[in-house]
Amino acid sequence: MEDLIMETPEQTVIERLERGAAPPPDAEVPPARTFEVKNISIWYGEKLAIDNVTLDVASNAVTAIIGPSGCGKSTFLRALNRMHELTPRTRMEGKVLLHGEDLYSSTVDPAIVRRRVGMVFQKSNPFPTMTIGENVVIGLRLNGVRNQKFLNERLEKSLRMAALWDEVKDDLHKPGTSLSGGQQQRLCIARALAVEPEVILMDEPCSALDPIATAKIEELIYELKTKYTIVTVTHNMQQAGRISDYTAFFYLGRLIEFGPTTKIFTNPSEKQTEDYITGRFG
Amino acid sequence: MIASKHILGTFDESLAALRNNVLMMSGLTERSLERAIKGLFDRNDDLCATTIADDEEIDQLEKQIDKDGVDILLRFQPVASDLRRVVSAMKLSSNLERIADQATTIARRARKLNRHPPLPEVELIRPMYEHAMSMFKDSMDAFVREDVKLGCEVVGRDEKLDDLNQVASHKLVERMAQDPDQLRGYLNLIFVGRCLERVGDHATNIAEDAVYAANAEDIRHQSLATAT
Repeated sequence: MEDLIMETPEQTVIERLERGAAPPPDAEVPPARTFEVKNISIWYGEKLAIDNVTLDVASNAVTAIIGPSGCGKSTFLRALNRMHELTPRTRMEGKVLLHGEDLYSSTVDPAIVRRRVGMVFQKSNPFPTMTIGENVVIGLRLNGVRNQKFLNERLEKSLRMAALWDEVKDDLHKPGTSLSGGQQQRLCIARALAVEPEVILMDEPCSALDPIATAKIEELIYELKTKYTIVTVTHNMQQAGRISDYTAFFYLGRLIEFGPTTKIFTNPSEKQTEDYITGRFG
Repeated sequence: MIASKHILGTFDESLAALRNNVLMMSGLTERSLERAIKGLFDRNDDLCATTIADDEEIDQLEKQIDKDGVDILLRFQPVASDLRRVVSAMKLSSNLERIADQATTIARRARKLNRHPPLPEVELIRPMYEHAMSMFKDSMDAFVREDVKLGCEVVGRDEKLDDLNQVASHKLVERMAQDPDQLRGYLNLIFVGRCLERVGDHATNIAEDAVYAANAEDIRHQSLATAT
């Protein structure tokens, strides 16, 4: 497997452009796919968390995963970069293909998968002992990059993409934890972007943020999807409606409905989806 | 037709209040149209005056429905069938208000006609009224029962009303040439016919909104879409 961080940024961008952006969700032409998830089931010990889910994730689009607590949406998200394997006694069946490549093949290193498929968590988690600048490039450093000029360039580029550069460019030496909650979350996004992933997974990235910080992250997600494929878990139905192109509704570990967001939020096909999104669940 | 209870009781209450106001407005509009036409056929100025006076109440209901709809959108951000119901209710109220305006215009024309000897040609209006009223009632039924089939059927009936209006107008123009002394009277009848034709157009809009509320299908301007 290629080590993406050794590529020049230009090559990576061109490659992504060649893959093509997803057409509008209602177009008849099927969109380019980043992930093909085929019949995955996941168990935590004896408990079945994901029950035979099949779903394609469109490239350069935002896919939102919604559903009540405990429905398996975070587990599904984590299965896309093998993060769920960090939980003890986890077992999985089925396949997850990233651009046609089986992420669960015995020859694939999970660390490489997590570099290609970055993740942003519910609570911002900058490394507390590191400066803002160090937080952004730590992924590159851990992968052996030592060229300071390259690191500086990537630092600025990542912070600019995360819409944080103008706010922190004079404070790069300050601790990451000195930033506000919203800024810390964007710092974590910049950290994820620094290793140039192909996909960004977000697990309720705005749930701990105020409306202004949330709006900034949402706007950022909108801009990032031109270059990245984004999959996000959210409890906020309005947010799913605002930011996503596709929505998947999970319930009790099963995928109940998946389709263009406009369709899901105006005329869902399944009654369970309708009941959930209109607040008549349970 | 609300399937099950919302987690927020206040949401169900707000949606029910919106729906009740639409139904009340529909009832008042239907009554105004009936009174205006009765005022015309029975040459009853009192009914015409009542129709004109009642329009104010219908106008206020339209404003109330718009306000309630905006409040629901703001407070609850409804989606799916809830969103369609709110949007349709707001569009419906606008069409109902315009139907009531047509009733008011008919009442005003009727009062003018009542000042002169009766014209037998007033009977040309009756089939138009019956057709327009049945379209209006059925369009509201389609909305209340979320009946897609009935909604589509109402839309298809508008053409007949247009034809009836054309035939009536043609006959009335002929009568003008034959009997120029009654020119104003015939002209008033032509305007009444046009009002009823407009009622049919608004009923069509209501039926289209009813279909959208029921199954999210936009059936407006379909002949144009298929032609291009």
